[in-house]
Amino acid sequence: MTDSIAVLAGGHSAEREVSLLSGHRVHRALTERGYRTVTVDPGETALLESLASGDFAAAYIALHGKEGEDGTVQRLLDLIGLPYTGTGPFACQVAFDKVLAKEVLSAAGVSTPEWAVIQASALRDLSAGHILRHVVDRVGLPAVVKPARAGSAMGLSFVDREPDLPAAVMGALSFSEACVVESKIEGIEVTAGLVGDPPETLPLVEIVPKSGIYDYAARYTAGVTDYFAPARIPPEVAASCAREASRAFQALGLRDVARADILIDTDGRPWVLEVNVSPGMTEMSLLPMAAQAAGVSMADLCDRVLKLTLQRA
Amino acid sequence: MSEFSIDPYVDLYAHRTSGMAASEVRALFAVASQPDVISLAGGMPFVEALPTKDLLAVTHKVIEERGALALQYGGGLGQPTLRERLAGLMAEESISDADPEQICVTAGGSQALDILGKIFVDQGDEIVVEAPSYVGALSAFSAYEPKYVCIPLDDDGMIVDKFEEALLKGAHPKFVYTIPNFQNPGGVTLSLPRRERLVALCREAGIPIVEDNPYGLLRFEGDPLPTLKSMDPHNVIYIGSLSKVFAPGIRIGWVLTESSVLQRFLLAKEAADLCTSTLTQLIAEDYLTGDRWKRNLATLVEIYHVRRDACIRTLEETFPEDSSWTHPGGGFYVWVTIPDYCDSQRLLAAAVERRVAYVPGTAFYPDGRGHNQLRLAYCYPSEDDVEEGVRRLARLLADEEALFRSLRPRP
Repeated sequence: MTDSIAVLAGGHSAEREVSLLSGHRVHRALTERGYRTVTVDPGETALLESLASGDFAAAYIALHGKEGEDGTVQRLLDLIGLPYTGTGPFACQVAFDKVLAKEVLSAAGVSTPEWAVIQASALRDLSAGHILRHVVDRVGLPAVVKPARAGSAMGLSFVDREPDLPAAVMGALSFSEACVVESKIEGIEVTAGLVGDPPETLPLVEIVPKSGIYDYAARYTAGVTDYFAPARIPPEVAASCAREASRAFQALGLRDVARADILIDTDGRPWVLEVNVSPGMTEMSLLPMAAQAAGVSMADLCDRVLKLTLQRA
Repeated sequence: MSEFSIDPYVDLYAHRTSGMAASEVRALFAVASQPDVISLAGGMPFVEALPTKDLLAVTHKVIEERGALALQYGGGLGQPTLRERLAGLMAEESISDADPEQICVTAGGSQALDILGKIFVDQGDEIVVEAPSYVGALSAFSAYEPKYVCIPLDDDGMIVDKFEEALLKGAHPKFVYTIPNFQNPGGVTLSLPRRERLVALCREAGIPIVEDNPYGLLRFEGDPLPTLKSMDPHNVIYIGSLSKVFAPGIRIGWVLTESSVLQRFLLAKEAADLCTSTLTQLIAEDYLTGDRWKRNLATLVEIYHVRRDACIRTLEETFPEDSSWTHPGGGFYVWVTIPDYCDSQRLLAAAVERRVAYVPGTAFYPDGRGHNQLRLAYCYPSEDDVEEGVRRLARLLADEEALFRSLRPRP
């Protein structure tokens, strides 16, 4: 093959560091499979100029967070006609924004925890702070407060008591113009890797943070979280998780690759929390772990995702 | 079923590494280093103002005249000729008769902090630090698992009465760590009466003082105060640094202390790295020869002065009424207290989104305080950028206030 593959990694989002690590691993994996690979960092260089200067057959998107996952980059690539891995712009935009994604999942009958949305503008411009009372009535406590548009658990807080809710909301709104307050589901945390179209579900990965909370430190400090793949759950529960993950993938209109984060409650019922359109590919990331549990190497995983893209082109 | 072990050695690491974890704030700093972000975060000296011709001249001369020496191992204490220059430099800071044989050159002041931790602190030992204190010192000491005794600051530096109270309550610290001049992050300077009191208390109790003085020569106003070292040569371990006086890239710092302490210090230093880079020691020595360094430093101090004024002026013009800040008479930092409802760690995400960065206050306390405080470093961005950066923060705080007012419970 003569054309090169551009691995897009880095960028401007708060997940820049993670993305650079993902990009590095994808770069190595594709090089191992014989592709000529160039890493392009939109945080360092003008994206379109860099892409125009190379003879690229496709872009592998290893960007995380805003721009890379919210459809911005995808829309640009569509305009210049460069095929890219993963989901198209509109579906990215929806999946990345928890406010929109929860609506879509719920409308499609995918089970997702009860939630309410708080927008910064409603508080600032409409002085709607008393809405918190209604939020608690709707969602109950304990609850989880998450920025609408952020990843890696950034800006996330657990709230057990109503007086702690305002601070949690303000914290989440530092990361995003809106936040989602969601019922906290007690149970087992798993993630489902999805590859292909229709998507094949990789073995579930069970996440057991030693601190009890899967926050930023638990995600990116080696050794402080235990992972089990396949998850240590009964086969029928695993099957229903896979089914929900796959339904979520289709409801959101995703392509090629994604990762669904799921909580299994004490009755064995899966609840889809969110679906990531550009899952992490670092050494500590869950999708490569899921692939490995299925006997798929990092190189094979990247190759497969890229081939799906090249076939579409 | 298999358990994925991302780090097969996780159970083998020393206990002292247990606090070393990835963090959201570090991740945000990766974005803050983007060129369009005005960073009021890192305390980076404005080395761009150093004349290239001076740097070329000293480097060229070292390689040409002493190339073999520069590329060879050197003694653990450091080059004798550099130590003489450093003794001369300390004379500018009221330490008039420093003995070069009591100086050990280190890889920046940071290495001196690490080695002092290593030779003084066992797990659980108490050490006294200012609260807030320099994050690099806290990181260096924390590896030796001390128990911190935190003494608060006010506009006159460490509140020495609180230190005395801690002693009366039974504190037995191994040493007192202080940055008396233009403190990092506080920007405040320890007053003369407090210097006298601190020195007397420590002498009486037999507790050594570790005096860290990287910023002393960066004074904008007021008269220099005597160093603690000059007030009690026997009980003060003095740490100096060329990072702000010359450049941090050469990694030259030093410790000046009694020969007894120096003996252990030297053995620990040699065990860590044999010797500090001979090449950069000779460059530093040459740079410190004559008055060139003083002229260049005066230029830098003038630049920092202008930037401090811009920072304070803009804070006064734009920051909300219920915030406050220190007034540094020199150095790099202004310490800002914002309303209690603000969380400076999480707010950093919104700040970076608006293309400005600072260091959240929590970084400077060993005990998680400082959520409504932050450090602004005015040393590196241009005067205009300092102003614009502070303005961006002020707008952010105004929006934050609107959020808070809306969320505040009504009677």
